[in-house]
Amino acid sequence: MKEPNSENNIIKATNISFYYNKKIVLKEISVEIPECSIFAVVGPSGQGKTTFLKIFNRLWETIPYARLEGEVNIRLNGKWINIYEKSVSLPFLRRSVGMIFQTPNPLPMSIFKNVAFPLKLSGYKDKLLIEKKVEDVLKKVYLWNEVKNRLVDDARSLSGGQQQRLCIARALIFEPEILLMDEPTSFLDAKSGRIIETLLLSLKDRCTILLISHSMEQVKRIADLTMELSII
Amino acid sequence: MINTGKFIEKSFFIAAIFSAALTFIIFVFMIFLSLPLFKGGLFFNILGNPWKPEHGIFGVYPMLIGTVLIVLLSLCWAFPLSLGSSVLISVIAPPRFSKLLKKIVQMMTGIPTVIYGFVGVFLLVPFIREMFNAGSGMNILTASLMLAMVISPTMIIIFTDSFENIPQAYSDAIDALGGSAIQKLIYVILPCSWKGILTGLILSLGRAMGDTLIALMIAGNAVAVPDSIFESARTLTSHIALVIAADFDSIEFRSIFTCGIVLYMFTTILILLVRFLGRMSLKNK
Repeated sequence: MKEPNSENNIIKATNISFYYNKKIVLKEISVEIPECSIFAVVGPSGQGKTTFLKIFNRLWETIPYARLEGEVNIRLNGKWINIYEKSVSLPFLRRSVGMIFQTPNPLPMSIFKNVAFPLKLSGYKDKLLIEKKVEDVLKKVYLWNEVKNRLVDDARSLSGGQQQRLCIARALIFEPEILLMDEPTSFLDAKSGRIIETLLLSLKDRCTILLISHSMEQVKRIADLTMELSII
Repeated sequence: MINTGKFIEKSFFIAAIFSAALTFIIFVFMIFLSLPLFKGGLFFNILGNPWKPEHGIFGVYPMLIGTVLIVLLSLCWAFPLSLGSSVLISVIAPPRFSKLLKKIVQMMTGIPTVIYGFVGVFLLVPFIREMFNAGSGMNILTASLMLAMVISPTMIIIFTDSFENIPQAYSDAIDALGGSAIQKLIYVILPCSWKGILTGLILSLGRAMGDTLIALMIAGNAVAVPDSIFESARTLTSHIALVIAADFDSIEFRSIFTCGIVLYMFTTILILLVRFLGRMSLKNK
């Protein structure tokens, strides 16, 4: 096999097949994704769209009886790595490839602690630095003005759209190069959904976004490339 | 259809009332049967006195101390053991291994206590005797260790159930942020499942308090107040069993109802205490 060498690609997946309990979910998918783009994945429900996303941060590995074939290379810090090699550290991979879920999933703690949580996980101690990073990232997701006076409130007291932006902020705090988004607007009202779309467009210049979407209008509005996962 | 629904609802209601009432009925029954002791003002003497039936003294103070020591000590062994096992089963072990472990623990809850007693008599007692040079080997330490084995499986099952009840969304969030299994445990699982941990503690406390056989078989049944954990002791429950087997309808016999009441109140007080501590820790969050 040739080494992936395309100049502006960031992801190159070759011959991906995914099995769950001997049932084939994804069959021989190969894809190359250019950096700083919004790459939409569409298709009917139950075609393994979520599973497809989880291949890029290895989150599927927590699913029992699942198996993956094929090779996934990602260019992180300018270096191509095969993310399934043993030498790859899972925390490093997941901090470079963030993920946003369909249902916002803030943890049962305050707004501030939620956003600072990834820093805590990786052992940051400098309080001032943490405070600054939290503020920056909350500004990036247009949430700062809404929450700056209630940072100690439970994150679950926010509205759905705010919670989802909080989760995006939490994923952004490590400045990931790739964001995996699993229908991030499907449980939100139209207005909150639009705010997130604007946010995604603004994030595009520093990170590559893989977006699962149910809405063709949304794909038309913001996606640069589209891939359809169809029935096997 | 509505009538069937109402009927079922009523049946459940009656069942609930009945089981709640039983708790009180038993209490009233015990008070009633030990009434002669209350009349003579004997009740409090019984609590504080030694057991010397040949001198007409029927105190249960040594048994009270024996019970407290054995139960608390067994919880001290069982709690860390169960917490560790539950963490292994629900957080660290790979799925198949953890399933196997869970099956084994479930099987352990079904083993009759008397079997644990046998194991205690023939394996643990000689071991403690040799190891600590502790007389017959039948003492508080031995009984508490064996009792810990009896109560651990229940505790492990309740702990693992509450660990596995953590919302998937929390688990996903930590995984996606690159947190390790141990970080997930510390920052999310333990804070979210303190209620299950408390329940596990309360239930095993009740189990340890109520267990008769282990102490009867391997604590040595001495009626003196123990000075150390290497001395023999008798629990309130095994005292009841021993007296009931020998006698009925004497003051001696009546006195065991005091044991019953004390056990009852003891368990209640401990449960209230644990709940109170739980509420305190919740407030401090």
